[in-house]
Amino acid sequence: MIEDVKYSMPVNIVVAHGLEAKALVKMLELERHPTSTEFVEYSNSNKLRLLVSGIGKESVAAAVTYLGEQQAFDDGENRAWLNIGIAGHRDAPLGSAWLGNKIIDQSSGASAYPPQLIEGVEVGSVVTVDKPENLYPLDAAYEMEASAFYAEATKYSTAELVQVFKVISDNLEYPISEIDLQSVPNLITAQAPQILTLIERMSEILEQYNSSQRLPSHYHEICSKIRLTVNQKLQLRRLCQRYKALGLEEELGRFAELKASDARKLIRLLAEHIDGVSEA
Amino acid sequence: MFSTIYIEEEVLESERVKNLLGRFAQVPQVICDRYGEVFNRKSQNFRLQKTAPALILAKKYGRKVLTAPSGYGYNDSKSYYFSHMLNCVYDCRYCFLQGMYSSANYVLFINFEDFEEAIEEKIEENNGGGVYYSGYDCDSLALEPVSNFCSHFLPVFRRYPDAELEIRTKSTQVRCLLDTEVVSNCVIAMSFTTNEAAVQWEHKVPSIEKRLEALHKLQLAGWNVAIRFEPLILGAEGLAPYETLFSKIFSKLDVQRLHSVSSGLFRMPVDFHKRIVKLYPDEELYARPTETENGMIGLKTAKESSQLLAIEKLLLKHISAEQYYRCA
Repeated sequence: MIEDVKYSMPVNIVVAHGLEAKALVKMLELERHPTSTEFVEYSNSNKLRLLVSGIGKESVAAAVTYLGEQQAFDDGENRAWLNIGIAGHRDAPLGSAWLGNKIIDQSSGASAYPPQLIEGVEVGSVVTVDKPENLYPLDAAYEMEASAFYAEATKYSTAELVQVFKVISDNLEYPISEIDLQSVPNLITAQAPQILTLIERMSEILEQYNSSQRLPSHYHEICSKIRLTVNQKLQLRRLCQRYKALGLEEELGRFAELKASDARKLIRLLAEHIDGVSEA
Repeated sequence: MFSTIYIEEEVLESERVKNLLGRFAQVPQVICDRYGEVFNRKSQNFRLQKTAPALILAKKYGRKVLTAPSGYGYNDSKSYYFSHMLNCVYDCRYCFLQGMYSSANYVLFINFEDFEEAIEEKIEENNGGGVYYSGYDCDSLALEPVSNFCSHFLPVFRRYPDAELEIRTKSTQVRCLLDTEVVSNCVIAMSFTTNEAAVQWEHKVPSIEKRLEALHKLQLAGWNVAIRFEPLILGAEGLAPYETLFSKIFSKLDVQRLHSVSSGLFRMPVDFHKRIVKLYPDEELYARPTETENGMIGLKTAKESSQLLAIEKLLLKHISAEQYYRCA
């Protein structure tokens, strides 16, 4: 289903259960990671990652932390985070689904509001509970991971790129005790159009974000040649951004070729040059 | 128009909110406790949110009328500002709001009556006078069809003829004003930059011609109008763009009847600048050399004072010195 997509989709998808993963693996053409970790992992060449966290807030928080820490030094680029899973609602039809625009953590009473930049996907509230809910008092999708997922994932990415998508698997007519687990992959698969829209739009927003933050290659070149303190790296980073913004990347290249061994001197030269060139 | 409408539970039953929600029934609505839960959260990105802003309907607590920063106004009267709204529908790259708020969503405070009371108190304190600026944290007119700001606040100032209201804007939404009897102590102050600056940095803003047309209509209808040349971003392009801009504006309007004309340089608090640089590291304006003075950052230009004087000289060919002031 995702075969036409040629561009990068650096989205981390986290699900609680292997049955939720099953449908997504097929839909997104993912392959199981050979390396053995505490979590079952899948990925594809488009940079999509899928992690099966296990059920509940602690499990999902641990999974997000695991993936976030692992990717922290990957390539310096941000990633989007998406929690997909089944949920209950008092009267929504089985198989209906929505993106959470409000996540209420039932035990703490705290609410979070994932910013909504994506059109074309249904939206609604989500309540995260510590134990399965049978009465569904609010007009919301009841599930067990979203609040912890959101709180944890926003430590690694900006809130606009952290979303939760819930598919209704039980309601008052078809209670949670009677869920046919084998139907879960079908419920998720039926939402393929919305899920694909979501992943594609998140990828587009992410690319917009990452491209604005991307550093010129000369930055990495200079860093590999000269020993820099943390503070000097920050100064160099901003100088490289300024050169790029002013269309002076080529001149930056000339500095990268210099055999300067003194980082302080190089930074001073870069600063003096750009200030001299760009000052009106 | 809005990606989502967030509504504070406390204002849910207000008539103003009910009317507004009725007009945007197709927009997803989310109830929140306090607007800060949505607006002030960390880990938000102003730049990304600007692509699909939400509207937040809230009640303003605390002080509603604040003392204007020194040097903001055009005369020596006591000056104040009030903000019935936070954030602006336009997307001007030089705007300080990008560094002031973590969210690009629009907050509309709907307790207009409380603002009215606070304004009246302040006017009474000033023996019926004072200058009151609207449009410091937002564009007062741009969201008029949604907020009905003018319909509420113009009658307040009509009752206090010695107090002055300045509505700062870049909007052409002047229908509400044209449909109202002129309020003689109200000034519509339109901001302009050169065409080159507008093309480069003012996104979603009506063209200079359309803004000018709106001002012209207002002037013909008898409204006080003023011109704000802000921010002046001096650069290599020289004076020619200013000559063009001034000729265009002052040939269209009745210069004698202009309330005032001001200019102000590109300046903002250092912290705001830092946050904007993080949002827009690829923006040419923020890659230019800067200089800091008293916590405010501006562009470092070798000939800033001489360029500013040259622009003022040009300006004073069109207007009288009494009409002009330099905004600090």
